[in-house]
Amino acid sequence: MIATQIARIIANFILFLELTDDEILDSDAAVEMMEDVGAGLDALDKGFLRELVDAFAVIAPEYSGESQDLVRDIPYGFYLEETLAEGDPARLAELGALREARAAKL
Amino acid sequence: MTQASRDKQQSVFSQWLRTGRLPSDGIFDGVERKFNPWHDPADGQFAFAGTGRYYGAGMAKPVPRAPARLARAHPQESQIRSQPKAVTSRAKQPASTAEPSEAHGAAGGRAKPVAARLGDQRNAAAEFVGGVGEGIYGVGKNTVVALHSALTTNPVTTVRNASLGIASRIDDALAAENIPARVQVARAADAIANASPREIGQATGSVVGNTALAVLPSAALGKVSALRRLPEAPPRVSYDPPEIGWVKENLGRDTPAKRYNDAATGGRPGQAPTLMRTMSDGSKRPVKFDGIQGEYVIDRKFKVMTLPRARAQLLRQSDVLAQHRLIGTWEVPTEKQRIAALELLKEMKVTNIKVRVVKP
Repeated sequence: MIATQIARIIANFILFLELTDDEILDSDAAVEMMEDVGAGLDALDKGFLRELVDAFAVIAPEYSGESQDLVRDIPYGFYLEETLAEGDPARLAELGALREARAAKL
Repeated sequence: MTQASRDKQQSVFSQWLRTGRLPSDGIFDGVERKFNPWHDPADGQFAFAGTGRYYGAGMAKPVPRAPARLARAHPQESQIRSQPKAVTSRAKQPASTAEPSEAHGAAGGRAKPVAARLGDQRNAAAEFVGGVGEGIYGVGKNTVVALHSALTTNPVTTVRNASLGIASRIDDALAAENIPARVQVARAADAIANASPREIGQATGSVVGNTALAVLPSAALGKVSALRRLPEAPPRVSYDPPEIGWVKENLGRDTPAKRYNDAATGGRPGQAPTLMRTMSDGSKRPVKFDGIQGEYVIDRKFKVMTLPRARAQLLRQSDVLAQHRLIGTWEVPTEKQRIAALELLKEMKVTNIKVRVVKP
């Protein structure tokens, strides 16, 4: 429950950083702020991070259009699954293959 | 005391009679004096070597072939004597080729310059031969200097020097072509008439040396072909240093990510280095980085991401780096981030940004 609430807070902040016009929010400053957020997520307890990663998929339908895709892709964009798979080479290899397949589709 | 002084003077005079030398080193007040054993028997004055009578050691010199008065009275003598080159070259001759008596130092004679003697046929021939040697030596030395310059200096400098030399020769030739032939012939005749045997020998030696150089196919053709190839070499491309601008950047927070980015090499606190990016419509927009090191601009990534704005930033940086012909460097804190960055660069087909790990 808490994870979902925190996921919603993070999602709103990420949407602000991603979708605000360049004339209002400097693009490079926004990226640097997102690096800060990503570093903070990496530092979370692994169990809570697992719940948080799953929560982004739960709250994504609350948004529409581009925002929905962005919220759903927050774990992918921050490499959160790779953070959770540290020390598991098989899982890391699987995640690498999934990334390559997704990049090939784009 | 007086007797001792007189005895000393007699001893010095006796030594001078026996050896032709004074006991001193022959240098008085910094001026070196040399003994001249040749005297004119008519008036006792000093004469040139080979003229007059020899009064030196052994007294065995041959009878002079020409009277001293005739030698001094020669109309060309004063002109030749005034030429410093003849005196200098004479002084450079080895002792074995000079008159033995001239090599001895002694006092009593005035310091006279040794000059070339047109009336002495043997010496004139020797001077001519010496001049030939100097001419050939000069040609050889110039050739060696030119070859050394071609092999050791910057090719561009060599070509420029060679071009300047060739241009000078062409200027001389053009100037000569503008002078009537009769004037050139008259000048040549006048120069030959007033030239000393050594000068004629030098000219002859130069001609011989240049002819020998010209008939050597390998040396001459190699020299010319090498110099002709040099201008065709592609010039080295040099780029101006990156035009870095600085903009204020105060994001108002103190986090590990901010501290890491602010610690980039060449960064300034509260400022960010920027490169100006030219957009497709001609407008210009700055692209921020975190530091600069030489010709490399640095952007620090505390966390690598694949979110849309992060991808757009990567493309902006790659584009502005390509416009400025620069290479960028991403600095990341861990090996895991480096791998993620390499995968992202590969996916985005960016090749002008390198990645390295720099610990916080």
